[in-house]
Amino acid sequence: MKIEDVVCTFCGCLCDDLVVEVENNRVCSVENGCTLANEKFMRDHRLKNPIRRDGNGWKAVSYDEAIRETAEILLDADRPLLYGWSGTHGEAQSVGVHLAELIGGVIDNTSTVCHGPSIMAIQEVGHPGCTLGQVKNRADVIVYWGANPIDAHPRHMSRYTTYADGFFIENAFRDRKVIVADVRQTESSAIADEFLKIDRGGDYAALSALRAIVRGKGDLIPSRVAGVTREQLFRVAEICMKAKFGAIFFGLGLTMSPGKYKNIRNAIELTQELNRHTKFTISPMRGHWNVYGSNEVFTWITGYPYAIDFARGIAFYNPGETTSVDILMRGECDACLVVASDPGAHFPRACAEHLARIPTVQIDPHVNATTHLATLQIPVAVTGIDAEGTAYRMDGVPIRARKLFTGSYPNDQEILEKIFARVKEAKRS
Amino acid sequence: MRVILNTGRTIRQGSYVERKTSADYMEEAASLNMNRMDMFELAVEDGNHIRVRSDHGEVVMKARAVEGLIRGQVFVCLGPYANHLVGPETHGTGMPDFKTTQVTLEPTTDPVPTIRELMERCGGVGYED
Amino acid sequence: MTDLLVKNAYVIDPLSGIRGEIMDIAIRDGKIVEDTGSGAPVIDAGGCLTFPGGIDSHSHVCGTKVNFGRYMSPEDMRAGRTARKGVMRVTSGYSVPTTFGNSYRYSTMGYTTVLEGAMAPLEARHTHEEFTATPHQDMLANTLFDGNWAIMEAVRDKDVKRAAAIVAWTLDAVKGFAIKLTNPGGTEAWGWGKDVHSVRDEVPYFGVTPAEIIETMIRANELLNLPHSVHIHCNNLGVPGNYQTTLDTIDLAPDLNRNRQSLYLTHVQFHSYGGSTWRDISSKSEDIARAVNSRPQVAIDMGQIMFGRTTTMTADGPMEWKLYMLHHNKWSNHDVELETGSGIIPVYYGRKSLVNCVMWAIGLELALLINDPWQCMLATDNPNGAPFVKYPEIIALLMSSRYRDIERSAIDPRTEHYVPLFAIDRELDWYDIAVMTRAAQAKALGIERIGKGHLAEGAEADIAIYPLKPDELDPAADYQQVMAGFAKTRYTIKRGRVVARNGEVVVEGANSTIWSRADVPPEYDLNRDAEFVKKFEQYYTVRMRNYPVQDIYLPRGYFISTEASL
Repeated sequence: MKIEDVVCTFCGCLCDDLVVEVENNRVCSVENGCTLANEKFMRDHRLKNPIRRDGNGWKAVSYDEAIRETAEILLDADRPLLYGWSGTHGEAQSVGVHLAELIGGVIDNTSTVCHGPSIMAIQEVGHPGCTLGQVKNRADVIVYWGANPIDAHPRHMSRYTTYADGFFIENAFRDRKVIVADVRQTESSAIADEFLKIDRGGDYAALSALRAIVRGKGDLIPSRVAGVTREQLFRVAEICMKAKFGAIFFGLGLTMSPGKYKNIRNAIELTQELNRHTKFTISPMRGHWNVYGSNEVFTWITGYPYAIDFARGIAFYNPGETTSVDILMRGECDACLVVASDPGAHFPRACAEHLARIPTVQIDPHVNATTHLATLQIPVAVTGIDAEGTAYRMDGVPIRARKLFTGSYPNDQEILEKIFARVKEAKRS
Repeated sequence: MRVILNTGRTIRQGSYVERKTSADYMEEAASLNMNRMDMFELAVEDGNHIRVRSDHGEVVMKARAVEGLIRGQVFVCLGPYANHLVGPETHGTGMPDFKTTQVTLEPTTDPVPTIRELMERCGGVGYED
Repeated sequence: MTDLLVKNAYVIDPLSGIRGEIMDIAIRDGKIVEDTGSGAPVIDAGGCLTFPGGIDSHSHVCGTKVNFGRYMSPEDMRAGRTARKGVMRVTSGYSVPTTFGNSYRYSTMGYTTVLEGAMAPLEARHTHEEFTATPHQDMLANTLFDGNWAIMEAVRDKDVKRAAAIVAWTLDAVKGFAIKLTNPGGTEAWGWGKDVHSVRDEVPYFGVTPAEIIETMIRANELLNLPHSVHIHCNNLGVPGNYQTTLDTIDLAPDLNRNRQSLYLTHVQFHSYGGSTWRDISSKSEDIARAVNSRPQVAIDMGQIMFGRTTTMTADGPMEWKLYMLHHNKWSNHDVELETGSGIIPVYYGRKSLVNCVMWAIGLELALLINDPWQCMLATDNPNGAPFVKYPEIIALLMSSRYRDIERSAIDPRTEHYVPLFAIDRELDWYDIAVMTRAAQAKALGIERIGKGHLAEGAEADIAIYPLKPDELDPAADYQQVMAGFAKTRYTIKRGRVVARNGEVVVEGANSTIWSRADVPPEYDLNRDAEFVKKFEQYYTVRMRNYPVQDIYLPRGYFISTEASL
C-alpha cells in the first residue's frame, strides 16, 4: 500500500511530502525522504517487550507489571525528574506534564541540551521570526550561523531556502545569496557565497561587529574580528542590509559555545537592528521533530517551555537550577522517567552515572544507551510509523503525524495515561 | 597532545541514532575526527586508536582524518563517546560546554569500548538486544 | 436527566426582553426549560443579579502568538501563579495566563463563551489544541484573511464569489468561526517590512487596496450567510490621527443583514486618535461615536486600556514593530506564509503617561457616547488593553461618574484638555452592562440562534449569578461593591452544571468549539479547483492534504451550518 503526504518524524523540518510503501506492517520503500528519513522508516528496529533489570541481567515483564512498577517508583520518589519528550507526540507530552504536576516532580525536555539557551535569549529580547514558507517565497539572503543543515536537517535547503523556488524567487539558486558562519568547514559552508570562518568562541564578537556596522559604527571595527577580516564583515553587512528579505538560521554552534544564550541574544539583536533597514527574520534550527511541540505543550499548560519544577505546588522555572543536567549533576533526583530521548548518550557522563544509581524508567521504542542505565524499559509505537499525533515544526507550524499501519505496540500516550491513572488512584487513597 | 574537542551532528550519526546497538553507530560515534597534521605529529593513521582524556573522563576512540578542521581541534559527533569527556557544569545555563572541552590525545592499542561497556562503566547493566 | 432549579434570581436577559425580574430558572440536560421535575436540586440565588453566561467577543487566549507571549515572558508567568487545588490544575501568568488559568479566571467572572480574536489558518491546529485545554468556555475562532494571497487575487479579479468560496473552504478546513481582517493588506506588506497607511493604499505586488479587500469580504461573508459579520481590526492601529482611517472604514460598510451588523470593528479605542504625533494625540471618540450612532450596520467593541502591565499581541506585525521602536523592550514577530503576520511586545500603561491617559479615556468615552449598548461591547482586546480580569473595574467606571472623577485625580492632569470624558455624565445601568457583556455579543456573533447569550426556553443553561443585589445597591456610589461582585460570581453555571462557586472552580469542565460551515455548490468547491490546488502545493510548505484540522482536534465540535447564496 502506498501512502502519500507522509510526515517524517525525524528532524525539525517535519517534511510532510514523503511517499511511503507499507507491506505487512513494515515500511518497504520511501520516496522524497533524505538519508535520515530512509534510515528511520526502512531500518526500524524495536525492543520487543518491556524489560526489567534483574540483578546483573534483564528479564522480560508484561506491560501491566511495567506500568505498575513505574507508578510505584514515581510514587516512592521525593524528587522525580521526567525528562525527554521531544520524540513523541503532543498528546503524550500533555499527559506527561499533568503527571509531573500530580507528583510534584520536575519536567524537562531535550531543549535543555539543545536550544534551551535560545529560549533564554528569547525571554530577554524576543524573537522576530516567521514560518518557513515566508522564507521560501521571499528571502533573497539566507544566513546559517553555527548550523550545518546538510548534515542535521538535510532537506532544509531544498524545501525552504537555498534551492527552493518560491513565489517571488523564481530561480532560487541564482537569486539567493547564502552566508554561512561556523568555526569549522562543513558541507554547508562549502556551498556558501560568503563563509565567515570564526575563531572558536568568537561568535559573540563577530555578531557584535556586524551589529556595529549595521548601526553605522563601522569605523570601530579593527582589521580582524574573531578571525574574520574587516572587509568580509563589511561585505556581509552590506549583503544583509541590501536584502529584500533576509533570514538567519542558527544552530547549536551558538547555543553550546562559550557565551551560550548571550550569543543568541546578540544574533537576535542583530536581526532587530537589520529590521531598521529591511526585512529580516531569525529562527533556531530545532533538532528533534517535535522538540518545539514539547516547548509549546509545556508552555500552554505551565507557562514555561522547559525545566519546570512542581515541587512547591506551583510551576517554578529557573534554567541552570531546574534543568536536567544540573539536577543530575547535583545528584538531586531520586527517580527518573525518560520518555522518547536518550540522556545516556547525550548527557555528560556524570549525569549518566546518576541515572544508573537511581530507579530510571525509560519509555522508548528502541534499545539505546539509556537502556543499559535503566531499571525498566517500556517499548512503544513510533509516532509517524505506527502511532499518530501532533507535532510542531521548527517554525511552530503544527502538523499531524500519520499512522502508517496498526502494529502491536501501545503508544506513549496510552502508557502514560495508565501510569497517570495508577498514580492518581494511589494518591487518592 | 592537547586539543579542543568540538561536538555536533553528522548525517551518519543521525542515520544510525535510533539503532545505537549497531556497528554503524559505534563506528561513527567513536570516530575522532582530526586534522592530518595533528595525526602526523601524533604518528597515527586512519583507524588507529587514541586515548582521549579530559578532566572529566577518558575513552578510547578511533582516529579519522578529515578536511575542514584546523590544527588543535578535534571533532566527535554528539553521543556517548564524546560525552564521556564533557563536564556537567552549565554555568547556570542548563547547557554543558559541549563544544569546548580541553582534551589530551595519546596513541594506544587498547580497544574501543562498546556503548554497552561505556554505560556499564557508568554503573549500568548491559542489555543484549 | 439532570435537573437544576435556580430560584429567586434577579434576572436581566436583554435578548428575552427581561430587564430585572425576580424569577426561577428551570434547567434540564443543560438547557433552559419550562419546569423541572420535582426533587430537582435547588440553588437559591437570594435575589442576586443573574445574567446569561458572559460572552467575550474579542480576546486573545489560545494559539501560536498567545503561547509565544507566554514562552517569551517568564516574568509574566511568575506574576500570577496558583497551585494545584481540588480539580484546579496549576496555573501561571498574569496578562497571558496558561490555558487553564484563562479558563478558571473567566469562569469565576461568569464567562462561559470566548471568541479567540485571531487564528492564522496554517496554525489553526494549535489554536484548537489550546481550546481543548480551556475547558470551561465554549470557544470560537476568528480566522485571519487579511493577507491571504488567494483572497487578494480574487479581490484583484473583482470576483466576490471566488472570495466567498475561499472563505468557505478555509473555515471548513481550519474549523474557524468567522472572517477576521487584521490590518487588511498591511500584514502582506509587512512581508517586505512595509505597511499600508490608509484604506486606499496599494498592497505591494497584489495591487489591491484595503478598501477593496474589506468591501469584497463583507459581500462574500453575506453570500455565505455566516452567523457573524466580517470582524475587522482597522489599518493604522495606534497611530495618531488614525480616526480618519476608522471613519473611512465605517463608510465602507453597507447594510446587508437584518439580524446583525455587517461590519464589526474591534478594539476601536486604539483606532480613535486625533493629532499627528504622540505629542498632540487627542481623543476623537465623539467623531467615531457619531458615525456609529448613525449607522446600525456597524457594531464595535471598546478595546479599553487599563493602567498597569500587560502584553500586546496581534496579527498586525507592522504595528508591533512600531511599538517596539517606541518601547525598545523585547519584540517578537511571526509572519505566516501566504496568510498573515503577528507580533508581540510587553507594555506598561502608566497613569503618568499622557498618551496612556488619553487612551484610557477614549475607551470609556466610546461606551458612554454610543447611544445603543447593542452597538458597543465591553472588551479590552485581552490582553492588549488590559487582562480580562480588569473587566469588573471597567464596569464600575461605566456605572459611576463618581469613580471616574476619583480616577481623574490620579492621572496626568493635562488629560482633560485632550479628552471629553469628564464632561460626560452618563452612567450605565445593570441592563446596559448585561447587553455589553453577553447579549450584544450573542447577537453580533449570531450565536443567539444556538442558545447563547439568553435564558429563553431552549437556550443553553449558561448562567452567571453575581453576589450583587440591584435593589439594595446604588452602583454610582457603591462602585467598589460592583467591582468585587463582577469579579467573582456566586455561581457560574455552564450547560446546566455549576462550574464555579464564590471564586472556586468546582469541575474540570468540558467545553465545545463552535465553527461555521457554509455549504457551497460543487462548482465553488476549491478541492476541485486545479488552479487553487496547484498554487497551494507550490507555495505553501505544508501539503494541502495535511492542512485541514482533523475532527479529532474538536472533541466536542459544533458547527453552525449555512447555505451559501452562490
